[in-house]
Amino acid sequence: MTPSDDDRDRIEEEEREGDIDEMPRDAVDGDLDPEPQVEPELEEDERFEDELEEAPHVSVVSEPDRAAGGGDADEFQYHTEAHHAVEGVPDAIQFIDVHKAFGRNRVLRGLNLGIPEGKISMILGPSGTGKSVCIKHMVGLLYPDQGDILVHGESVPSMPDIELFEMRKKFGVLFQDGALFGSMNLYDNVAFPLRQHTDKGEEEIAEIVDRRLLEVGLADSGDKMPNELSGGMRKRAGFARALVLDPEIVLFDEPDSGLDPVRTALLCELIKEVHQENGGSYVVITHDIMSARRVAEFIAVLWRGRIVESGPASDLFNSSNPFVRQFLTGESSGPLGME
Amino acid sequence: MVRAVADRTFVPARGVLEEAGDMVILTGKTIVSAIRPPYPYGGEFVSQFLFALKLCWFPLLITMFVISYAAPGLQAANFLTLFGAIDRMGGFFVLAVVREFAPVICSIIVAGVAGTAITADLGARKIREELDALQVLGVDPVKNLVVPRFLALMLITGLFDVFAIFAGVAGGVVANLVSGGATGPFFATFFTNASTTDLWGSVLKCTLFGAITAVICCYKGMTASGGAEGVGRAVNQAVVMTLMATASFNYVFTQTLLATHPEINIIR
Repeated sequence: MTPSDDDRDRIEEEEREGDIDEMPRDAVDGDLDPEPQVEPELEEDERFEDELEEAPHVSVVSEPDRAAGGGDADEFQYHTEAHHAVEGVPDAIQFIDVHKAFGRNRVLRGLNLGIPEGKISMILGPSGTGKSVCIKHMVGLLYPDQGDILVHGESVPSMPDIELFEMRKKFGVLFQDGALFGSMNLYDNVAFPLRQHTDKGEEEIAEIVDRRLLEVGLADSGDKMPNELSGGMRKRAGFARALVLDPEIVLFDEPDSGLDPVRTALLCELIKEVHQENGGSYVVITHDIMSARRVAEFIAVLWRGRIVESGPASDLFNSSNPFVRQFLTGESSGPLGME
Repeated sequence: MVRAVADRTFVPARGVLEEAGDMVILTGKTIVSAIRPPYPYGGEFVSQFLFALKLCWFPLLITMFVISYAAPGLQAANFLTLFGAIDRMGGFFVLAVVREFAPVICSIIVAGVAGTAITADLGARKIREELDALQVLGVDPVKNLVVPRFLALMLITGLFDVFAIFAGVAGGVVANLVSGGATGPFFATFFTNASTTDLWGSVLKCTLFGAITAVICCYKGMTASGGAEGVGRAVNQAVVMTLMATASFNYVFTQTLLATHPEINIIR
């Protein structure tokens, strides 16, 4: 059974609008590039690296030079893939040369990314570039066609089902629109992971659930059904459910989609507060730059299936990469067009 | 141009074969999950059984009665009257209703009423990412969603087959009376030709129809995509595929039963 057809649909819709590059017809049988194409180094990168050498708190780990040539050279010309690792902070999650295609649509095309431990990381990028596909790879809902994904050093695609179910207990996931179970009220939704994975009694469960609902501002809504809640309330309820097992890693799939600016700001503040209180590695998928400015400690910019640049938020907001600069400032002129 | 023609021919065919293969894999996983402990699906099994029972019994009763009255009933009565053999109606109804009409109509009703509801329910959960959330929360969707529906539909179709036989025979009795026949000869030839092989063959076939319906409807629901329109499309495809699959399986089963039990071929 084919998983996550929603992402395939999202990408096919983007393709109809012309946002996604289709696989060349002569590669329709799934012969992906045996080696990723290399973009030529830009002069700006050399200057950029000189500047970074002056900042002792980060180290730049650039991708090694790859053989130039081929049709992909132009489209990856802005992909410096400069990775500004934070010293002394290991990676909680690593993507190693991940390729993923849905039919002819190559969504991830050699993705290399490290998500640091204990930080709020954001994966930003234009619509339809595969951000949600990344999240689903992290929890094993999707498997790469090529490459590997490591969570705390363990390869997710290689895990048998039993280990995968155990590994998923490390994660809390906030899906778009909350993904609450329609047949249960809010209280039972939030209590579900506790009843499923722990031997706690109902009193202890009630204490934990009430605390989490209070944290997200839904203390009085426990008996409501999901269809009685607004979109923002469903997201907050999904957030409470994602936190209830005190996970080490929390994933947010476009938590701000469908929210007005005020509620978006409130949700961002909530994410920061909860992270301050509970710790852990948070990964937020969004294309909202205001949210990135409010919340992100580490940013990775994803475009055309690869990371353009990644590193501490302050470095990315001061990046001289034309694509990163255009995207993070929201300018209309630059490498990213309406195509 | 050759490539375009080949793409148009072989790519859809490959898609169909991949889907068929996926459904067979789902069937295997369902059977293994049903047998292997633990068994957390008891409540869901009962709920699905009662749901299908509540929705299907009345449409099945009416459909079976009316179809049996009209098609094998009146049409066969007209034909048999020509030969002065109206008393053979009962024997004919063993072939028509017990062996074929009851299981097939039962399967059509269950697929159209309960199967579509299953596809719509699972499809809606799929597009709301509830199924993904279940997996991430460590719940096996096959064990907790597919297995109870699979077992419930198998049980309900098996039981409904007997109910359908009663309704069908009742339609035949009415057709027989309307055509000038008597109930005595009708039931005499009915019980002369009926055998336990006919009955268990009918119930087994109908039960397997229920299994096919459950697998196809659950598969189409769990792989629905494209929002609400996609769910509607999945429901439509589920019904069409179920009807085609049950018709094909009916041929294979009937042929096999007749070959392995040649005594039921003899009309007394």
